[in-house]
Amino acid sequence: MSARAPHVAAAGAEEILSVRGLTVAFAGSEGAEHVAVKDFSLTIGAGEFVGVMGEPGCGKSTAAIAMMGLVRPPGRIVSGEVHYLGRDLLAMSDAELDAIRGKDIGLIVQSPRTSLHPMLTVGRQIENVYRAHNRVSRRAAHARAIEMLQLVGINDPERRVKSYPHELSTGMTQRVLIAMAMSSGPKLLIADEPTSGLDVTIQAQFLDQMWEAANRTGSAVLVVTQDLGIVANYCDRVVIMEHGEIVEASAVRDFFAAPAHDYSRRILSLQRESAASVAGAPETERAAAEPLILVEGLSKDFDIRGSKDKVHAADDVSFLIHRGEAIGLVGESGSGKTTVGRCIVRLEEPTRGTVRYRDEMVSDLTQREFTPFRNDMQIVFQDPTDSMNPRWSVEQVLTEPLDLHTTLSAAEKRKRVTTLMRMVGIDPAVREVKPRQLGAGRQQRIAIARALATEPAFIVLDEPTSALSPETRAEIIELLIRLSRELDIAYLFISHDLTTIERVCDRVVVMYLGQVVETGTRAEVFRAPLHPYSRVLLASHLFPDIADRRVDRPERVTLKGEIPSPVSLPEGCYLYGRCPNQVERCRAMPQALEEVSAGRSVRCWRAVAGELPG
Amino acid sequence: MTDLTGAPGAALPAVDRRGLLARLRSDRFFLVGVVIVFLSLFLAAFGPLISPYDPLRSTGEISTPPPPIETWPRLLYETVSGQREAPPHWFGTDQSGLDVFSRVISAPRADMTIALGGALISLVIGTFLGLLAGFYRNWATEFMMRISDVLQSFPVFITAMILVALSGRQTGNLVLALALVYTPIFVRLTRAEVMAQSSRGYVQAALAVGNSRWTIAIKHVLPNSLVPSLVQMSVTVGFAIILTAGLSFVGAGVRPPTPEWGSMISIGAQQLILGEWWPSVFPGVAISLTVLGYAFVGHTIEAEFRET
Repeated sequence: MSARAPHVAAAGAEEILSVRGLTVAFAGSEGAEHVAVKDFSLTIGAGEFVGVMGEPGCGKSTAAIAMMGLVRPPGRIVSGEVHYLGRDLLAMSDAELDAIRGKDIGLIVQSPRTSLHPMLTVGRQIENVYRAHNRVSRRAAHARAIEMLQLVGINDPERRVKSYPHELSTGMTQRVLIAMAMSSGPKLLIADEPTSGLDVTIQAQFLDQMWEAANRTGSAVLVVTQDLGIVANYCDRVVIMEHGEIVEASAVRDFFAAPAHDYSRRILSLQRESAASVAGAPETERAAAEPLILVEGLSKDFDIRGSKDKVHAADDVSFLIHRGEAIGLVGESGSGKTTVGRCIVRLEEPTRGTVRYRDEMVSDLTQREFTPFRNDMQIVFQDPTDSMNPRWSVEQVLTEPLDLHTTLSAAEKRKRVTTLMRMVGIDPAVREVKPRQLGAGRQQRIAIARALATEPAFIVLDEPTSALSPETRAEIIELLIRLSRELDIAYLFISHDLTTIERVCDRVVVMYLGQVVETGTRAEVFRAPLHPYSRVLLASHLFPDIADRRVDRPERVTLKGEIPSPVSLPEGCYLYGRCPNQVERCRAMPQALEEVSAGRSVRCWRAVAGELPG
Repeated sequence: MTDLTGAPGAALPAVDRRGLLARLRSDRFFLVGVVIVFLSLFLAAFGPLISPYDPLRSTGEISTPPPPIETWPRLLYETVSGQREAPPHWFGTDQSGLDVFSRVISAPRADMTIALGGALISLVIGTFLGLLAGFYRNWATEFMMRISDVLQSFPVFITAMILVALSGRQTGNLVLALALVYTPIFVRLTRAEVMAQSSRGYVQAALAVGNSRWTIAIKHVLPNSLVPSLVQMSVTVGFAIILTAGLSFVGAGVRPPTPEWGSMISIGAQQLILGEWWPSVFPGVAISLTVLGYAFVGHTIEAEFRET
């Protein structure tokens, strides 16, 4: 603890920003004003990392932006004071504000793509911000831009400084924005959901950098987020907002130990319930159950238009799913997990490899021959709104599979639809409504009901919860667990969210760059991951657990650099160049997936040989 | 996060949540459009039957100007109460002694048959071909698109004129010529929308549920791809009316003396120099109003059916 003295002592540290009674309103129709932020007060000291949390629409982003004196029209700051180092920002002229914004207070917004100028190199954009606040030559500013890119962990900054935004990955553009925001050494960094849409390993790297910047230079960070994991792992204090008002402001440890407000208790209890049921869940009791789906050597290449190269989306993927079992397919974007799921239910045609369902080699069937199997093998998509015909009512959506696979009468179908809606916790009264008139959570419930309509034995769940807010996500997960138990359905649960996977799945398959790198039971993979990639993934995942904060760990493992292109794959181990445990032999030695014990395999010769540190 | 603009909805224009009928009833442009559309259809059906004079027979009174507007109420009263032997020439007569009013209200039979017929045929064929081209992307549909490119690269008017010149001036040929020149528009519109819709999740979901590709195309993709074409349809009817009249105006359309707005303008135009404006201005106004009416209706269709 003593190493983190500035954080613990934050309350007594130098005060950087103090907000008092900030109220922001938006003009509504007919002269009515909607108050988005009401009487918001907050003090941030040097070196502090403060989180602002709340449901979508609670005014947290508006409050954060308004602290810089910025409000989007037709909004206006009704009242309040924002003192930055003793001076009231809201009383300043625009010119005075311009001198402070970007220099002393940096802003990092959610969507990095739209925040960068598409026609200027990223280096030039960093230089422009830097030169706006510092009287330096272009040459010096250029050197500063390279230095900043290096600082935020971009490989080969001399080359990247000349890149245009479209040439960089989303993770890199986000880091460019940080570099820009930090170039003038701000004393306060305001970040509005800076990591939504980033992969966990990149998210962790990014937050590490902000945290270190705060620690090293004594600047303060205010981060707006919906993610309890970020709050638990990085923040010193947390502010909870509901309906535009602060309902709780406490030190992070107090917040997790004894939340003061209803909303806080609710989101935390959801978390606790999951943790408790994970601990209490029986471990792979279904191991003896009959095999349901066997995937062997599944590969999928996509042609690139106008090129002979191919994208290797999935490469020799094999695993087994038993009846009623939930398999988690984990990996970051570009790992090929969605492709595998889609190949199994024949939304994509596998390039090589086989899929066996019970006794039938379904991958050999034509689409027409496969159709009868579709009532047994279903899929739920990530975006429920997009996955249902926009012109259809709930009833039509749910009746379609019954029309295709059953010979029920109209009355029986109606009855079945009612049953399905009850099963997923939707009032059958909304059957006439179009799905998009309902909230995202209820839409996803309907999508799940559609998948259940023909009583399938197996469902692919393709990121079914990642488009949902934390609360609805918890509800949908509960529903999926209940359905799996009651109906004995096997899941292939595809997700990048390890918390969800841990909650739902019996066994876990980890993928990296189209390959399976590790398989095992939930306990094996989560408690003792073997593959270096699984280890980094787990270490980077921000579990909302105050007892094991990432910032408190002696060593914060990360992957170096960026994920390689799936067009030109590395010669040896796919992780070579990024792996924390690599040796020279890994460079040219292709790795095979080897079974280390029953149902547990790993694609790393060092892990198999037991050479990796505990 | 839509949070930046405050509470969702607060900064956005209020969405009209009333029922469709209530919304339509308060939409004045739409109401005007609907009245005009119905009037044009009504006249196409009954115009020649209710016209006060025979649109094809001379009244003997040559180039009579229309009565002054202030006398119209009295004339109307006299006509209705049967005090007059013959109904007045509301819009005057042309140099052959034909009653302009009778001809203006009889003309929709020719104009609307050709314009609506042409537009409808091109809508049906174009939508079907567009669905094929958007859903099955292969050399055959690509070839079809190139043909439609070639067709579209000529000015519509010239193409239609050549077609009529080659095939003869019968009504059926005029309808087909119009259908042919407007089909590529619908093919292109439908194809683009089908391609956009095909990448949507519900198409994948429909496949996963067990539909065949062709059922998906008809049941899911087609209904969701119709809006651009339906909007275009009302605009096209307007253009088709102008094209029909235009062809007649240059003598490549409906043969005089069949009442038709374009040929009426053409005939009346010769008298304009003598100050006899009525034989050509009234059919001109009729064309403008009709085109405007269809455009109003199209505008509302677009607003109503656009996915929110």
